[in-house]
Amino acid sequence: MKLCDKLITTDLLIIGSEGAGGHAAIEASKSGIDILIITKGKIGQCGASQMAGADFNVDGSSAKKLGFPGDERDSPELFFETLVRESLYLGNQKMVEKYVEYAPKVMQDLMDWGMRVYSYESAHAEEMARGIISSGTLWVAAIRRKIKELGIPLLEDTMVIDLLTTNGSISGAIALDILSGETIIIRCKAIILATGGWHVAYPFNTGPYDLTGDGVAMAYRAGLELINMEMVQFCPITLVWPPKERGSIVLYMLSEIDPFDKSIHLLNKNGERFMQDYDPENMEQSTKEIVSIASELEIEKGRGSPHGGVYYSLKHTRKRFIDMLIKVAEHRIKNEYKDSRYELNELLPELLEKCKTVDIEVGNAAHYMSGGIKVNENTETSIKGLYAAGECSGGLWGSVRVASACTEAGVQGKIAGEITPKFVKSVELPDINSKQVKNIMERIHKPLIRKDGITPNELQQKVHAISGEKVGLIKDENSLKEAVNELENMLYKDVNNLCVTATKSKKLNYEWIRSLELQNMITCLYATAKASLIRKESRGEFYRRDYTNTDNDNWLKTIVLKKKNEDVEISFDEPIITKIDLPKGKLTYQEAIGVTTASLKKD
Amino acid sequence: MWNIELKKIINVKCFRFDPEKDEVPYYDMFEVPINGTMSVQDCLEYIRENLDSSLAFFINCRLGFCRRCLIKVNGKSCLACLTEVKGDITIDPLLKDKVVRDLWVKDL
Repeated sequence: MKLCDKLITTDLLIIGSEGAGGHAAIEASKSGIDILIITKGKIGQCGASQMAGADFNVDGSSAKKLGFPGDERDSPELFFETLVRESLYLGNQKMVEKYVEYAPKVMQDLMDWGMRVYSYESAHAEEMARGIISSGTLWVAAIRRKIKELGIPLLEDTMVIDLLTTNGSISGAIALDILSGETIIIRCKAIILATGGWHVAYPFNTGPYDLTGDGVAMAYRAGLELINMEMVQFCPITLVWPPKERGSIVLYMLSEIDPFDKSIHLLNKNGERFMQDYDPENMEQSTKEIVSIASELEIEKGRGSPHGGVYYSLKHTRKRFIDMLIKVAEHRIKNEYKDSRYELNELLPELLEKCKTVDIEVGNAAHYMSGGIKVNENTETSIKGLYAAGECSGGLWGSVRVASACTEAGVQGKIAGEITPKFVKSVELPDINSKQVKNIMERIHKPLIRKDGITPNELQQKVHAISGEKVGLIKDENSLKEAVNELENMLYKDVNNLCVTATKSKKLNYEWIRSLELQNMITCLYATAKASLIRKESRGEFYRRDYTNTDNDNWLKTIVLKKKNEDVEISFDEPIITKIDLPKGKLTYQEAIGVTTASLKKD
Repeated sequence: MWNIELKKIINVKCFRFDPEKDEVPYYDMFEVPINGTMSVQDCLEYIRENLDSSLAFFINCRLGFCRRCLIKVNGKSCLACLTEVKGDITIDPLLKDKVVRDLWVKDL
């Protein structure tokens, strides 16, 4: 009996085609091994990379060697120290070392592949300029061109459902062609997961429609450890309203650039500059985390905007000043950057013009997942032949993503692309386990076969209600306990009752695909809620109102989650240290994050 | 002091075709409530989440990055995510002879 509609054999399967996956494929192709890229969308037009700002990071000395203005006082070692310190010591120092070592190599690759660069400046509030600014669309276009030029085989609009393992090693994967509904067995020696975050699990997020945590969830199902799952970064000043612009971070991007940074007021519904109560010294220019928490507390206290945000206001300025801001923005975007992005060219001037008469509703959107699949500095996981690169991996950032995720994608993609061919050449193609395939096929088709149950739309609403209210930016014991229980229920009950109702056609069936994606989103969110409940402190991107201190004596450790039948096994890893010793003592959250004033306790 | 929203209902006339079971294409009519500035894509999402989950259309970045949500609105080609809905609309696929299902066109 035929197990699947199609069978493909390759050496290396790469799941994801953009910043991490694409870079890995180009690097691995130098070795001459067989490669197949599978992507859920279309290369260059899917995933989060295309939407990046995009800034890349390299230390000043390396930047100079690459031909940028740079700063010779800077070095990879200083950059390393900044990253470890600012991510509050939870990061894997071996991974951080690789990050600073490979960052210039990645930049060189991208420029060789024709990625245009806009400017060299300070990004992420660095002490020294370490930012090379380009755009996400230019980044992915360069990768796409190179992949097409090299003729690397590509399956687009195809969703990988699960990994196949044989005797503890990777033996392949099962995928679904979204357009035809056909199932595919891929037999291979190694797999690189480069599938990004699980943004869509949150009702308000900055990611595209396809980021549903597929790689992280399939790794978890295959028995891999997930780490730092509680570290989810929320981006403040993201457009909440109207629906057409919801999720755009264009005003946040602007808020980091001179002269816009100093002219912004954030107001609550009473028209008060609420940052006065949280960080009177720095006000709206406080850290990203403090601005996020302050905005969220205002909303909780009923002082938010009608659609769950706060107000971005320029009404205190003169109209002529706003005209000047529009001109400055247009000059940079059109003349210096020559950027054609809608967000910068059309939306931004429109929003600024609007600011002359009204305020804009902005809020905290799920933006970046610092946790994910546990890997080492060579992107290896605990399953032989399985690697993870980019946002789906965890460990690099510790508790705050303090530098470029684009660089992370490139660095880890490049490392994975270097290391996998060596592995591939050292092993034979493993046999696949047909019972495993049958079980996965049964899981895939279950929502199509069921006659009644919960619809994907209904379950998605349930998921968003939990993630929005109980696993959001500000967390506490009671909400997290409820969230864990409800998500457990969804994962082991609702998911099994998912039912595709509108059409049973296998072609382009939105309900069917969403059913499979929901299982992944719920898995990731469950891990996030579980890890959040365990961590009894606040650190970096992670904030608990019932444990507001950053506790270096008890919590300088990473939480590791592993599937054990229908339960989860919890363990702790000490941070991996190479050069910088871990600090001791308890700090208030504000001290730890670098802000010394104000109380963040709920009144 | 803040934005005043006007809620209204618009009619969306939407192209439907499943080459597997329909002999010829047809149109479905949907009523969509407009609340704040909404794009054509927001309307399609509303339909799929509330009225008819079998509707096939492309959605990804929602903000003009991926440029893959090309469709025809009132006969004109445009990106669904960047096109604001101001009144009743007719939505067609970009190329009617290349339809996989409904508004999703082959090689998009």
